[in-house]
Parts: sequence; structure tokens; C-alpha cells
Amino acid sequence: MARASFNQLRAGLAIIILSSFLISCATSANNKYFGLTEPPKDNVMRYVTGSEPESLDPQFVTGQPEARIMMALYDGLVEYHPKTMEPIPAIAESWEVGSDGTEYLFHLRKNAKFSNGDPITAKDFVYSFRRGLSPEYAARNAYLAYYLKYAEAYNSGQSFVKDANGQFLLKKDFAAPNPNQPAETAAPAQHDTLGGDSEFHRFLDSPERLYVPTDEKARAKVLDKDPKLKAAVEGKELVPVRGEDIGVEAVDDYTVRIKLYQPAPFFLGLLGHQFFRVVHQPTIEKFGNNWVKPENIVTSGPFKVTAHRPYDELIVARDPQYWDAANIKLDGIEFYALDEQTTMMNLYKAGRVDALYNHTVPAAWNEVVRQYKNEYLLHPEVATEFYVISVKKPPMDNIKVRQAFSLAVNREALAEFRKTIKPLTDFTPEGIFPKYEEARQKIYAQKLKENNITPEQWAKRKFDPEGARKLLTEAGYPVQQQGSGFVTPSFPVEKISITYNTAESNKAVAEFVQAQWKQNLGITVPLKNMEFKTFLPMISKVEYDGFGRRGWVGDYMDPFTFLGLYYTPANEGATGWWDPKYDKMLDDANNTVDPQARFEKLAEAEFYLSQQQVVVPLSTAGTSWMKKPYIKGFYPNPGTLHAWKFVYIERDPAKWDADVDNIMKASDPLVDSQIEQLAATQVQMENSKPPAEQAKAAE
Amino acid sequence: MAFLVVTLTWGLIRVAPGNFYSSEKKLPAAVEANIKKKYGLDKPWYEQYFIMIKNVAQGDFGDSLRYQGQSVNEIIWRHLPYSATIGVLAYLLALAIGLTAGIVAALKQNSPFDYGSMALAMLGLSVPNFVLGPILVLMFSLGLYIFPPARWGGVLSLVLPVITLSAVYTAYIARLTRAGMLEVMRSDYIRTARAKGLNERTILLKHGLRGGIIPVVSFTGPALAALLAGTVVIERVFAIPGLGNIFIQANLNRDEPLVLGIVAFLSILIMLFNLLVDISYGFLDPRIRYE
Repeated sequence: MARASFNQLRAGLAIIILSSFLISCATSANNKYFGLTEPPKDNVMRYVTGSEPESLDPQFVTGQPEARIMMALYDGLVEYHPKTMEPIPAIAESWEVGSDGTEYLFHLRKNAKFSNGDPITAKDFVYSFRRGLSPEYAARNAYLAYYLKYAEAYNSGQSFVKDANGQFLLKKDFAAPNPNQPAETAAPAQHDTLGGDSEFHRFLDSPERLYVPTDEKARAKVLDKDPKLKAAVEGKELVPVRGEDIGVEAVDDYTVRIKLYQPAPFFLGLLGHQFFRVVHQPTIEKFGNNWVKPENIVTSGPFKVTAHRPYDELIVARDPQYWDAANIKLDGIEFYALDEQTTMMNLYKAGRVDALYNHTVPAAWNEVVRQYKNEYLLHPEVATEFYVISVKKPPMDNIKVRQAFSLAVNREALAEFRKTIKPLTDFTPEGIFPKYEEARQKIYAQKLKENNITPEQWAKRKFDPEGARKLLTEAGYPVQQQGSGFVTPSFPVEKISITYNTAESNKAVAEFVQAQWKQNLGITVPLKNMEFKTFLPMISKVEYDGFGRRGWVGDYMDPFTFLGLYYTPANEGATGWWDPKYDKMLDDANNTVDPQARFEKLAEAEFYLSQQQVVVPLSTAGTSWMKKPYIKGFYPNPGTLHAWKFVYIERDPAKWDADVDNIMKASDPLVDSQIEQLAATQVQMENSKPPAEQAKAAE
Repeated sequence: MAFLVVTLTWGLIRVAPGNFYSSEKKLPAAVEANIKKKYGLDKPWYEQYFIMIKNVAQGDFGDSLRYQGQSVNEIIWRHLPYSATIGVLAYLLALAIGLTAGIVAALKQNSPFDYGSMALAMLGLSVPNFVLGPILVLMFSLGLYIFPPARWGGVLSLVLPVITLSAVYTAYIARLTRAGMLEVMRSDYIRTARAKGLNERTILLKHGLRGGIIPVVSFTGPALAALLAGTVVIERVFAIPGLGNIFIQANLNRDEPLVLGIVAFLSILIMLFNLLVDISYGFLDPRIRYE
């Protein structure tokens, strides 16, 4: 299609709107508020969430616009804390974690109901998890649940292997050549059994069974690689892995037990994701794909659908059946499907929407909008931007060249130039995981001592043009002074480029980095831009040369969602780099139960990754969006995912937000007391643990 | 003809890199395999093509790949009215203003009105609607807070998009009418009518206009088809859930059935309107009547 001309149109459009906007701003800059600021007449919030949702089925959708809507319509075992995004109790009023970190027991509240009045029980969660993982359903997010035992086997169509005696072959007998696969550790007797024994639980707790692909061709491929396996499997009966085999169990009506195949300390944080929220089985079975139509849909969250006009709006209203309905403060929410930045800013300024989603302030509006301390939110986000490096192709296969390019970028200047980002020197985003950063500081201090690096040298890694030139010279590409600048005539610049997907912001960053490298290294790296869907396969198959633009948004609130990018050979890092040593470090960390000790191990892995310099870190994203000062209980959390039941409209202008930079620290009794009340059940649970267990947990 | 268009479009989507499920996050191979199987993408391409053509021949474009549980036909019929409303209103407005201005300008050739209106028309033709739209928004929505700056809902919300959209058409129609009228008013049959002693009013409305607006009529066919199909820019700027908006999204999403459905629908629409225009010539000008 006419993508190019469309982009030109957009660019033209942006210029016109912006220039005319600036004129109008000149007259209104003295105002206290940005544009028309009056709370809506009804107690209904008007929100722009992004483009039209793909569906209202929480397990089908993957985008952020949808995620926010799903949080209104569906409830899960846990909910995201509105400020920190840590898990707080939702349908599960409390939970216990087994001492080896692979078993979770959730105690559900007994008054949770679907929007049609049906009670929500443990069986509904079991159904939802199995449905999401079924290969026929083909959910794109299914991999989020691969931590559950046999979940991946079920989702990828595998079969257990049963011998003539009715015994299943075990995985440990075919010691995988992959060193990352944790060995079966303890015998079942040593596991503690949360929530009591059951036959299914004994099956899950027994050593992991061997499985091979059910599909004949795929199986032949696997078996041909491993003659020992082939001999063992041949002639044996294959038993397909079923949904009933995966590691989730309804112990009773109000208790859900989850079994992971290895410890995943971030798993609780993942459970707030829409993929794990509960759906209504009878409705889905009755209507098939049409169950999400407004006339059929049954939901489980604080709000329910009242109208859906695709590409226009989705209207939801408070659901009186919701277990915590008394604490829902809004009567409803109108979600507008919009993704044109200037259009939504126009609506915002005209007082027709109350808040926008993240990254919606166009670059040129920034200067004006950021003056409104009561409305413009710029907080660190669980998202980073970096350039991946194609490490297999010369000249970038030389680590010194890679380091030189990374050192030659002034990140502080970049952040200042872009205004909506913060500089990034390591790999995980800054200001998002405070406890991890503490651990990292400690570990890095140790590493510096071990490697004889002075703190001054270490600080220089942020930006060191001189060091960069030295490294490049050492790598065999001497940098020469020429006038006030530099030249590196021997560097094969035709072999590299910066490839990015078409977007104003990406272009601005690429041009900035290009200028930095020209200035500091005397190398002018060509820029290449392409449409998003064309760009994706190019990056993921590492077909680009030199540098590729990459942004990464965390799936959950744990540094592993970033560090895991380079985990296993089939990783998503898009550089061609993989190192078993790095995998081992991550595995070690995840097998550590104590959170702080685990963070320290993760920090070691991050240090190692940074030393390999397979990426050029650039920035941690800032949320950059606006909300009217009368919208309260609505926070710029790292994922811009809002737990809607805490949001309210303040009618008294005296209580409106005046300083949103400190909004996360400021306490709001209405919201804080509610969260405290919710969290109390879990705190009680932790305190009521037998002393022996508490001691164990404290270790 | 429509089949040729569909086949070409199908081929182009297939050649374009990326697919409807690709995103920043790479999917595990197993997940991707499940998706391919679910949507029949694991079959050989020729088989997929024949399945597609067979369904299309029956008027069934299947379900959208992106919007779960929504059929392409359903989406097209649901969003056509938005585009059609804006398009038809804009065209009616353009006709009303354009015809009047054109006729008056032709009758008062070389008068200040003639120069003034034609200069304005020139301006209307050269200012693109993605410039005009935002300027109107700035003035009436953000300056005076009279009309909503975007979104569908209520008569007020129609004002700005309709005016923006009609500007180019108004200008075009005014110029066409003026030129057509000037030519006709000099022709022999008008002179005959005058010689018969008919009054100017009858000459103008009954004889002059019929011949004078033929260029406008030939313009109407493609113009209406284009307007019904939705105008991408207007619909984006004003966030109107019309076909043009959907079509752009469908392409960016690589939503194959939806793209095919809209392309087929549009090509049929354009053919239909051109046919109607050809038929209407006969009524307006006896000289072009078919034997």
C-alpha cells in the first residue's frame, strides 16, 4: 500500500498541527491548566488507550492498549499494585510459596463472582490456564505460562512415552546434552506438599517424564539427532500430553495449586498479566469466537462491557457483582480507540478526554506541555532502547570495535536532546528495580576490585571518546586527527549501518548517534529505515549489518525479563551472541530462593553481559503522558498499566494534583488504605506461618 | 476484473515481509506453529490461494486475522456508513456551493465575483485537506471550543470533517461547472433557444445546465466511489471509524482477509459508479444516447 505517501502525509500533518499549535500556545501558556479543564459531569472517566483492541478475550490479546482494557474487564489471582506493579491480592486473598520455589498455593476469596453472578472457583482458573495453553487455541502469549510443569509440552504438541510395562520414560534417563536443563534434584518425598496430598500432585511431583513431538515428522527430526533416544522411543506407546497434565490443580473449590518445573521467583509478578486472568467457561463453550460480543460476554473484573463500537469506543460500567464493588470509585470508563498522537492531544486540550496512554506527547509539544507540572507525567518505564550489534560479521565481531562504538555515544546528551528518556549505561532499565540496583551496586564494586578497575575508569564507561579512539586504534583501525575532528580511513564503514523501523523518534535517535560517531570516531555510519513488519524479521534473524534499533518492554517486574533476552541459543537478543556461561549464571540465580542473593547473582550475569558488549545501550524510556489534575489514584507506574478500581475523579479543585513529579511518593488515603486493606490478608498469611518455616524463609 | 485485483492484492500481501502475528517479541517456534496450523498457513501456497479464491467467489472473505470473531463482511458493512455519511454530506455540500458558484461565475464572466470565486477555488484545490483540517480544528475546537476536535458522535462532530473534506470537491466542481457552462452557453442550440425567444431563466436551467454539468457528472462517479471508500487522511485526523481508517490499519497489520475484502469491495464500487455515470450521460445529453 501507499505506506510511504501515508507517512509523508503524517509528517506533513504533524508539522502543520505543531506549528499552528505553538501559535495558540503562546496565548495560553499563562494558564494554570492545559486547555479546558473541567471534570466530566458523570462519574465516568474518558480515556484513550491506543488502537482498537484485537479482541476482548484476555488470553488472545497481546498489546498494551488491550492489556489496560483487560485490567478493567477481568480479575486474576493477583492484581498489579497501582504504583509499583508488584502483585497485590485480587481473587486470591493470600498465597504460600513452597520452600523450593516451584510450588504455589493460592487461597481464593469465596465471594468472587463473574458478571453474570456465577461464583469464581478454583476450577475456573484451571480451565482458563488450560485453555490459554491449548495448541488449538494458539495463544501468542502461551509462552508466558511455560514455567508451569508440562505446559510447554502440552502447548507444543508433545507426547509422553510409555513402555510395555505401563511405565513412562523419564527425562533424567536421557541426560540432555543441554547443560541448562536443571537436573532433577530432590526425590518427591523431600518436597513439602502445600495444601495436602493428591494423586495429581504426586504425578506432578514425580520426576519429569520424557516427551517427544506427537507429530511424526517433527518427532523423526528430534530422534534422528539422538540415537539413544531413538532406540528407547521406538516401538513404545506415545501418550499425548493433555491439558489435564499441566501444573495447575484445583485442590478444592477455593484453593489453586500451581507447580512450576523450575523455580521462577518472578512468577507471582507475572500472574497479574491478562493471560492469567479468569474467563467464564460456559460462555466460551456456548458462543465460540463470538463470546466476546457485547451481547454474549461474561467478565470477571471490576467493570463490565455495556457497549462496544469498534474503532470508536468501548464503554464499561461498574460491575455490581464484583467482589470488591464497594471500593470501585468510578461509575464507568469510556475507552476511545485512537492512536494518532496529535488527534488525541487535541481531544485532551479541548477537555474531551481525561487521560492518555504512554508516549503520546508529540516531540514538538513537549516544550510547552512539560511546564504543566500538574498534568505532564514523565517517569521511568520498564522499557529500554538499545542498538543490537550483529556480532558474527566483521568488523563488529571484534569486541574492541564494539566497545569503541559504545563508548563514543554521549548518552547524557542524548537524553537531554530527546527529553523523554533517561540515559542507560547497563542493560536493565534504571530506576525501575530499586532493590536489584542496590544488589548490583554491591556486586559491581566487587567486580571492579577483582578486575583492577578504578571507580574513575568505571565511571568513564558512560561516555569516553578518547578511550573509544584508543580501542579502535588497537583493533587495527587507527583514528587520526584531522583539523578539529577525526578520521578513520581504514574502517570498512560500507559494511555497517544503523537499521531502524520508520518512526520520527527512531530517526531522531539514529541521527544523533550517527553524529556522535562522526564527531568522536570520524566514522559516518549510513542510516537505513524500513517499515515495522519488514524490519522485524530482518532484526530477529540477524540479517542486518552493524547496528539495529531495538526497544524492549518488560513482561513483568523483574530484571530477568531483560537479562533473559540473551538466555539460551534461541534467544531473542537478535545479535547472534549466546554463551553457555551466561545461561549458567542466570540458572544459578533463578535457583536461589532468597530474593536479594538472587539479585546479586543476576547482577553478576549483567556484568558479564555488559563486558561482552553485544549491544550499545542508549536509554531507559520515560512514560510521557498527560492526565487532568482531577483524575486521582491513577499513577505513572513502570508499565503504564492501571488497576482501575483505585481511580477516581476529584471534584474539589483544592485537592487536585499540583506536582505529578512526586505523585508516586505522595500518599493518597483513599487509595493507600484500600491497598493496605487488600494486602492485609496476605500479610496475615505470612505471619501465621509456623516459626520453623519463617526461619527458613528468612535465611 | 475483481478477481484479477484480488489475486494481485493477495500476491502483494504475501510478498510483503512480516505477518499478522509478528511483533517486537519473537514467538517461540511452538507457538508460531500452533498459529500457522490454526489459520491454515501451514498448507502450500497454491492450496491457500485456491481456498481463498473459492471463498471469495462465494462472497465470503472469512474472518479478520487480527480482530477475533469478526468477519470481513461484517466489518465492511459496519464501517461503510461512517465513511458514506461524511462522504455524501461532503459531496452534497460541494455540489451546492460548487454548482452555484460555477454557474454565477460563468454568467458573470470576468466580473469581480468570477475572479474572486475562481481564486478561492484555486486555493481550495491547492491546500491539502491535512492542512485545512488541523487549521479548522485549531480555530474552532481549541480556540473557540465550539466543535469537537475529533471523534464520531452528534451533528456537531460532523461539521469540521465534512467541511474539510468538501473543500477540494467544491473547488473542482465550481471550476468544472464554470468551464462547462461557458462552453455550452456559446453553443448553437443555446443560440437557437434564444432565437426562439425563450426567457433567460428557461434557457439557463433547462438547456444550459443540462449540457453544462456533464463534466461534473463524469467527475461524480469516481469521486463518490472514493468518498464512500473513506478518506484516509480525514478519518485519521478526526478519528472517524470509517473504511479508510480500517483499510490503513488492515495493511499495517497484514490482515490479509480484511485487505482483500476491502480491495474487492472498492473495485466493485468503482466499476458500479462508472457504469451509473455512463448511463446517466444519455439522460443529460441526447447526443450521447446509446443505440
